[in-house]
Amino acid sequence: MKTIQFIAILFLISFTSFAQADKFTTAMQKGLVMIDSAKTPDDYTAAGNYFERIATAEPKQWLPQYYVAFNNLCAALLGKQDAETKDAIYDKAMQYVEKADALIPNNSEVYALKSYITFMKMAVAPQARAMSMIPKATAFAEKAISLNPENPRAYLMKGQNLFYTPEMFGGGKDKAKPVLTTAVAKFENFKAIGLEPNWGKNRAKTLLQQSN
Amino acid sequence: MKAVFTFLILISGIALHAQTRISGTIKNYNGEIISGANVVLVNTYDGTSTDSLGRFKFTTSETGKQLLRFTAVGFKTDSIWINLEGKEIVLALQLKQAINELNVITISAGTLETGDSKKGSVLSSLDIATTAGAVADIVAALQTLPGTAQAFGENGLFVRGGSGAETQTYFDGLLVKNPFGSQLPDMNSRSRFSPFIFKGTTFSSGGYSTQYGQALSSALLMESKDLPEKTTTEFSILSVGLSAAHTQKMKNSSLAIGGNYYNLKPNYAVIKQNVNWQKEPVDIQGSLQYKWKPSKSGILKVYGQYNNTQVALLTGSDTNPTHVTNTNNTYYANATYLDYLSSTWKIQGGVSYSNAKENGTVSINNYYRHSNLLQGRFTLSHYLNKRSLLRMGGEAYHSNRLEGWNNLSRGFGDNLQAGFAEGEFYFGDAVVARIGLRSEHTSYINNWNIAPRASLAFKAGKRGQLSLAYGTFYQNPDDSYLTQSKNLSPEKADHYILNYQYLNDKITFRVETYYKKYSQLTKYDFMGYVSSFGVYNYQNLNNGGSGYARGFDVFFRDKKTIPAGDYWISYSFLDTKRDFRNYPVQATPPFAAKHTLNIVYKQYIPYIKSEIGTTYSFSSGRTYYNPNNTGFLADKTKNFNNLSLNVSYITRVFKQFAVVYASATNLPGFKNVYGYNYSPNGENRTAILPAAKRNIFLGLLVTIGDDTFNH
Repeated sequence: MKTIQFIAILFLISFTSFAQADKFTTAMQKGLVMIDSAKTPDDYTAAGNYFERIATAEPKQWLPQYYVAFNNLCAALLGKQDAETKDAIYDKAMQYVEKADALIPNNSEVYALKSYITFMKMAVAPQARAMSMIPKATAFAEKAISLNPENPRAYLMKGQNLFYTPEMFGGGKDKAKPVLTTAVAKFENFKAIGLEPNWGKNRAKTLLQQSN
Repeated sequence: MKAVFTFLILISGIALHAQTRISGTIKNYNGEIISGANVVLVNTYDGTSTDSLGRFKFTTSETGKQLLRFTAVGFKTDSIWINLEGKEIVLALQLKQAINELNVITISAGTLETGDSKKGSVLSSLDIATTAGAVADIVAALQTLPGTAQAFGENGLFVRGGSGAETQTYFDGLLVKNPFGSQLPDMNSRSRFSPFIFKGTTFSSGGYSTQYGQALSSALLMESKDLPEKTTTEFSILSVGLSAAHTQKMKNSSLAIGGNYYNLKPNYAVIKQNVNWQKEPVDIQGSLQYKWKPSKSGILKVYGQYNNTQVALLTGSDTNPTHVTNTNNTYYANATYLDYLSSTWKIQGGVSYSNAKENGTVSINNYYRHSNLLQGRFTLSHYLNKRSLLRMGGEAYHSNRLEGWNNLSRGFGDNLQAGFAEGEFYFGDAVVARIGLRSEHTSYINNWNIAPRASLAFKAGKRGQLSLAYGTFYQNPDDSYLTQSKNLSPEKADHYILNYQYLNDKITFRVETYYKKYSQLTKYDFMGYVSSFGVYNYQNLNNGGSGYARGFDVFFRDKKTIPAGDYWISYSFLDTKRDFRNYPVQATPPFAAKHTLNIVYKQYIPYIKSEIGTTYSFSSGRTYYNPNNTGFLADKTKNFNNLSLNVSYITRVFKQFAVVYASATNLPGFKNVYGYNYSPNGENRTAILPAAKRNIFLGLLVTIGDDTFNH
């Protein structure tokens, strides 16, 4: 009898934890659908808010934090906010990607995103920030590549930074092209694991076309 | 048993379906809607975002007392407790504007920040490097800011009627005893440090923190850069010499080695000089920087520099000139460490050592001046909350000075200890106060003093703020006086400052008015006029001097109106008189100008990949000593005008980032006169002129490292 009870309890425990995990996965998948269908900056804000709610409830999971950062980045990237608001949104994005970094140190995806956010923050006030922030964004992209040489987003970031850095500051389309070519090739072989990042393929292709 | 089981199922079934609907609006305190705000039922996945009209609605199956949090970018996060029991909840929520870099209240009276990331930064490091006429000299670039005066042949940064010696330079919090090259007869030298090694500079024209002492007028706080991002090599070929630097980035540390050799002979051969050079200046410099980040919060910085300059020239009247030579050897080193002991305690500590030796001849006489300074310092900061803090610390200086004239020599040694404590208190978002005390004891003249200082700032509108500052400042008399007398006291200044500042991301406007009262200034008896160069014997050294400076400064910078263009205008009005040195009466000293105006304009032209910069400087006539006039310092030179131009062309040389740089000072060739030197009998006079009427400077700077590293 005791054995049966024990088995029943075990079964219950595993069932609840499974249910709990499943609730997280379902919620995250719903969020990824929101990202896929997002078109306007407001859509990205809403998706960012959605992931923020999950992130608040699941402070040990790095992916919700990562997606809060990603969606806020997109909201500012596409939006027409004033410089001050853009700065605040990028700061928020950076704050969340740092949280992700603390939860999963030395992750290539996290560093690729850091590179993106840093570069965009630079673009808010390039005259004042280019000198210090372009090298920083580049260093993040390089680190992302060294952490996982198969991560296509790491190359996309490096290529994109070069693409938008004026020639005379060591960037330019010619410099970006080989890196973007690598990025596109890596995207072809890339398979996202579960809920992990899977964006950027079209972006890489578009930028590569524009580099020609 | 069965009944209980059924009941349980029923209960859970009800709970499962007891949904509560929550709806409402979110606005700011002005009643404006906030869209894209996040409404979060804490610790659940439930919640929603506000729509474009600031409305929200969602349903939740949670029950009981729950925390509802609402957040939006640019606003302070807020929350309320709600009771979920199936009944619809309708809420009208409000969010408060968050404090960001631009609208946060800061103490701005007397403070001008320069740097790349700081709020209210008036100049970036690139600005300093590209200001026309400054030729990448920090102090020269700062002379385009309000409150400063053009240096006419004397070393230093002249602030609000203060002499050059009244401004002290601090490198990562540590005093730099010799921030400039040698003082030559009627010629000022460049500052020793490259602007590129600093991430920010705070230039204080008065009322500054108790952390800094031994400066009557101004503190120039230079903060060195953190760990570099990558390995780079730079070299420059200039019309005045060569320089090279290499920075090696390692995992958590970096090492940078740099050196330069400047020889002005070829330059002076082409550009006509007002100075009769016997040996044109030769400057050799080597520097070393090491940075180590042992942890996420800590950083160790070490800097060392060696500098050697040699010159010889003829000075004085044309008919009976004096041959002067000067060789300067300066060693400077510092090491600082900064770390957080916990989330609320920060510690900073450092040591520095400098050794400066000047030797030379004046006609047949030999002279030398040797000085060294050893300094240790620590600061402990305790954060009371996010912004308010208490800061305390101490420092100790050991200094020596020895000077000689042929076989005679004299000198002194001093130990100075200082302690300081101050608090910065924020009252809500609109008011900040800083109150502190500094106390110093100096052994050689056996003096102990206490200097209270206080500042207050409050918001005036969304972008504006009003600041007040008061402070007492002490500075020991110049070394050349202390070598001759022990019976002296520190000189004293009291500052009163009122400032208004308006700031947004493109426009900076500041206006500041001040009153500065000098007392205990050093006086002595001496016949004739004392120049900034030379060795003198003073009689009856005492602290009977006094004076005042009052006026106002205006600064306006606009990065918005002209596309890819940027300009700033600064104007200073100064009314000052003082009785010091051997002045018979209170008089306006020659280093003070009543009106000073600077207009700096920079335009990037993408078509030619060039930035063009121009600086126009004006200052009204300065006083000079004329022995034939019964009035002391009653004569004035004519107005000073200067128009400088520089062009930076950005290109690639051997596939590397390169800047071709050309700069010309005083392009229209204004005939400026700094003052006059009279012969002892007053019959003849020689005009003190700028070293050259017009100066032209060319350079090529190449940076290697963008492509070569990592691949």
